[in-house]
Amino acid sequence: MVRIAAKENLLVRMQREVQEALDRPTRRWGMVIDTRKCVGCHACTLSCVAENKLPPGVVYRPVIDQEFGTYPNVTRKFLPRPCMQCDEPPCVPVCPVGATWKRDDGITAVDYDQCIGCRYCITACPYSARTFDVGGTYTADTVAPQPYELLPTYEYNEVRVREHDGEASPVGNVRKCHFCLHRLERGELPMCVTTCIGVANYFGDLDDPSHLVSEMAALPNAVVLKEELGTKPKVTYLV
Amino acid sequence: MNTAIVSEAVAERHRDMPQDTHRVLLPVAWVLVGISGVLGIIGLVWRFTGGHADADYGSYVPWGLWIAAYVALVGASAGAFALAALIFTLRATEHYRLAVLALVTAFAAFAAGMVNVWLDLGHPFRAWKLLVDTEFGSVMGWMAWFYTLYGVLLLVGLFLTRTGVVPMVMERFAWVAFLFAFVFAGAEGALFGVVGARPLWESGLTPVLFLVEAMLFGTAMVLAAAVVFGITDRSVVRRMSIAILLLLAALLVLEWSEFSTGLAASVPAKEEAIETILFGDFWWVFWILHLGVGVLVPAGMLLFGLRRDDRTMVGVAAGLVLAMSIATKLNLVVPALAQEETDGLAEAYTGPGLVYEYFPSLMEWMVWLGTLSLAGGVVLAGRRLMGDWLADRGPGEHDDGGSTSEVEEIEVFEETI
Repeated sequence: MVRIAAKENLLVRMQREVQEALDRPTRRWGMVIDTRKCVGCHACTLSCVAENKLPPGVVYRPVIDQEFGTYPNVTRKFLPRPCMQCDEPPCVPVCPVGATWKRDDGITAVDYDQCIGCRYCITACPYSARTFDVGGTYTADTVAPQPYELLPTYEYNEVRVREHDGEASPVGNVRKCHFCLHRLERGELPMCVTTCIGVANYFGDLDDPSHLVSEMAALPNAVVLKEELGTKPKVTYLV
Repeated sequence: MNTAIVSEAVAERHRDMPQDTHRVLLPVAWVLVGISGVLGIIGLVWRFTGGHADADYGSYVPWGLWIAAYVALVGASAGAFALAALIFTLRATEHYRLAVLALVTAFAAFAAGMVNVWLDLGHPFRAWKLLVDTEFGSVMGWMAWFYTLYGVLLLVGLFLTRTGVVPMVMERFAWVAFLFAFVFAGAEGALFGVVGARPLWESGLTPVLFLVEAMLFGTAMVLAAAVVFGITDRSVVRRMSIAILLLLAALLVLEWSEFSTGLAASVPAKEEAIETILFGDFWWVFWILHLGVGVLVPAGMLLFGLRRDDRTMVGVAAGLVLAMSIATKLNLVVPALAQEETDGLAEAYTGPGLVYEYFPSLMEWMVWLGTLSLAGGVVLAGRRLMGDWLADRGPGEHDDGGSTSEVEEIEVFEETI
């Protein structure tokens, strides 16, 4: 049984652990999602969209609504699906220009200025975790863009303001979840973890066995998606 | 080989050049190129003003018509190039004119294929990074260099042909080009074969399938062009028709092998992709366009045309095989992508491009037509530029714009032998 300090809020503990991990020379970020606690509110999806200023058609963390069984014996489950941040990511070796790579901290990153938009990586991802930014805006065909669409995004610690009808990156690029890298490096949890109303997400350094995420990932009911592919996802589900 | 033998070959060529069908087909070809060219220009403007937002591919089906066209055209190009190289390697002097035509069509198809894939890029003006920052762990990185090398080979081949020294050079080194074309065509299949996330693609048969299709489409393209240009002596038509028939049979065997084992293995992801091809919303692309119009009808026409010595019919059959190459490749590219990797993903979050259905948008069709127009235009222009070799000549006729007479042509052959 997992022991959690009774008086420490889970989010506070995870945030403290993230900051501790940043003080170490190496770390390996991972996430555990407790599907038993997920109520399918999609708050994580929307907070991710807001945090990363995702345009229409680009999504990093959809929540899949799954139904099992036949009426009246029916079960409904929710499966949030961020990037799996695989240790053996099939999307990385296929990139012909080295625009996507596995960082030392385990996050698979994309260099928007290097990506040519060939979308080979999308075909290679077995989890459909990558989406293509075709350049859409929520206010297309309206009088003027709304202020929220002109706010900068801070993905990968780069400040980028989306041009209305422009073609500058990340338009034309493949985009994916990066565990809110820009927040992590400031000692903050990924936005989806912070926003989850049921605290169904656990996040931290998988290399530190004392971290909550490591404890959760070691539970016997922890599974990964498509384990048979050998991609070694760093997102684990509690079922 | 002496002058008498060469003269005999040329004489036979003229003896066997019966119909004037090509005199009708050429103006038709120009009209088609013109119309599709205008549509293509409009599509091109649309592509660059509207970006990818007006295309139907997106995130879940990231590749569509343009990628299918690219692999079909580049495959056909490799097949035509292999054919030209084979003719030079075997020193089949009576077919040198056909070999030059094959080189021209190979270049045209290659150029059109490259334009298709270039326009498909999210950032087409960063394509140079493929050569400067090549990641050689990626098959696509290798292909970028293969394409470059291949393009150079084609240009050098065409240049040498124009200068009249091609037989000498090509006869000695064409086997290298032939091997390169084989590797090149197979490697293009590896581009798909290594994608483990797509069970329909991930197969050792995929590169072999691409190789067979490349030879099939390339041979069909050259034969169709030969009929349009009136290079239709009996032996050429006969040999190429038989080659197409054999390649069609090989294609059917490979497809049967892939589909039957895929269905029998009952691996859901692969099974669903194959079922999408055979019984999905676009079942007619496989059964009618590919199998019917692209395989069975041309096979019948080829057999009938050979029996009756009807070269126009044979040319039309080859044209059908070539035209339906896009259906064949669409059936490879799209169904593999149109499978939900996790059930319920399509409903989890909606937006443009987040769907598993795909049908090319009007802009995609127009751009594709434009690239076909480009290929057709290059072939027709090539006829003028390579006039010495491809001029539309009958017995006793002079080149229409070229300067080399047949006697000189024979002399060129003699010098090289």
